[in-house]
Amino acid sequence: MRHLSFLASLLLAGVTAVHADDMHGMAMGHEAPLGFDAAIDPTGHLWVVDTVGEHVRARRSDDMGRTFALSTIVNPTGEPIYAEGENRPKIALGPKGELYVTWSQPRKLPWTGFVRFSRSLDGGAHFDSPTTVHTDRAEITHRFDSLAVDGKGNVVVAWIDKRDVETAKKAGKPYFGAATYYSWSTDRGAHFAPERKIVDESCECCRIALARAPDGSIDAFFRAIYGDNIRDHAFASLPVGGTSPKVERATFTQWHIEGCPHHGPSLSIDAKGTRHAVWFSAADGKATIWYGQLAPGAPPAHLATVAAAGASHADLLADGTHVWIAYHQMSPEGLNLMLRESTDGGVTFSEPRQIAHTANESGWPKLVLWDHRAFVAWNPEGQFRLVPTEALK
Amino acid sequence: MTRLLLVTALAVAMPAFAAPPVALAPTDVEALVAPPAKGVRIVALWALDCAYCEENLSALATWQRQHAGVDLVFVATDSIGQRDVLSARLRAARLDTVPSRAYADATPDRINYLIDASWGGETPRTLVIHANGTRKAFSGALNAERIASLMD
Repeated sequence: MRHLSFLASLLLAGVTAVHADDMHGMAMGHEAPLGFDAAIDPTGHLWVVDTVGEHVRARRSDDMGRTFALSTIVNPTGEPIYAEGENRPKIALGPKGELYVTWSQPRKLPWTGFVRFSRSLDGGAHFDSPTTVHTDRAEITHRFDSLAVDGKGNVVVAWIDKRDVETAKKAGKPYFGAATYYSWSTDRGAHFAPERKIVDESCECCRIALARAPDGSIDAFFRAIYGDNIRDHAFASLPVGGTSPKVERATFTQWHIEGCPHHGPSLSIDAKGTRHAVWFSAADGKATIWYGQLAPGAPPAHLATVAAAGASHADLLADGTHVWIAYHQMSPEGLNLMLRESTDGGVTFSEPRQIAHTANESGWPKLVLWDHRAFVAWNPEGQFRLVPTEALK
Repeated sequence: MTRLLLVTALAVAMPAFAAPPVALAPTDVEALVAPPAKGVRIVALWALDCAYCEENLSALATWQRQHAGVDLVFVATDSIGQRDVLSARLRAARLDTVPSRAYADATPDRINYLIDASWGGETPRTLVIHANGTRKAFSGALNAERIASLMD
């Protein structure tokens, strides 16, 4: 009957070429979302968060991802979870072994969500009941959470928020995109400060990159909107308490799109304060991943093309003068995990190098650092692994 | 033969305005983007997370109603596993009379690439395929003027 219904719906959709093969992928994706995040703690334990149905799962590996010694459900009471693409669970580690986890929870209406938070203070054995980070409980977008811990151990969460869109609508005023907001906790996640706006009229569907600066503060790099839907990126340092963030334009690709790029940037700041970044643009119809060193208020320095057509979802990591960029490169044969590497602080990069391949799909690559060595966390076909960046050298 | 009769009977019995999205596997892409026998095919790519997409689908559906020889298909980059949500969204926007597909792959990137290797996955994305094999693509929401420019 299921087969018949499927064939009937194909007919109704006007599709004439029907094969049994059409059935094979039907249940994929939604049942096993591939979104994940990973981090390595100071003792070399790898932590990975992903989702199992309506549950966020935190796992610890003591052998660099080969096996998992601990697996804990963060939210024993299930709830809907955004678990793919730019919206996926995040993990960050505190200085005293704290584990912090955030995710976005879809609500009933389209594009709505709440940013959820949980913590473990016992090494991942248990997690506190999830809480909603923001005080605003309107059934609107509070999604695309990002999570970081500053140099003092304060927890910073940023997200995309549409409360100002609603206000503008009611006032009959135009409003591009959505706003970007953040909050912070100075007590290891027990409480969060009332949220504060970073900026109005920013992109509504791209992840926010957060990175720690040498002074310990958390900086944000995210897609904003300039003029009539020019979707470039902004930079802002996010004060914990004190004054509002100073937001400055940081990329100038002039990509005009009245739409959703679905490509957020990545940011890593080295010990000298150089802000290494990668971002996506399709200005002039040319899909490109760019690298640059941000100079907020002015165009980036050392601007370089990382990859072009078929490349996506780059992540970046800097350690001293070493900079790694990992990204996906689609090909007719499947998905290649690519790496470009700089040993001179981002002035020059090696040619693109394939370090792994899958004929199927994977969650997006995440670079992690251990003892000055970079690894790419990857989960082709849902099978987690750490790929050494030295592979196939 | 028995199966064909059953399928035909079922198709006739079901209302034509309630068709749910049909799975689009990587192996289906070649047929999707093949030039039509005549006229023009518009492949309108959209996503649940895209706040501009319904406006784009609506503009294209209006264009199709006003012009002959336009074969329009909506393709959601979301998983076919979300067919109920996709159907509800299209129904709420009164766009459920247009043939509709949804990706059947674990992430959208592979099918994105197979449909259009130069596309970065941004939505809405509109692909216009003429019978002579020429193609034009546009990222972002379309109005009637922009649609007309893609038809040249």
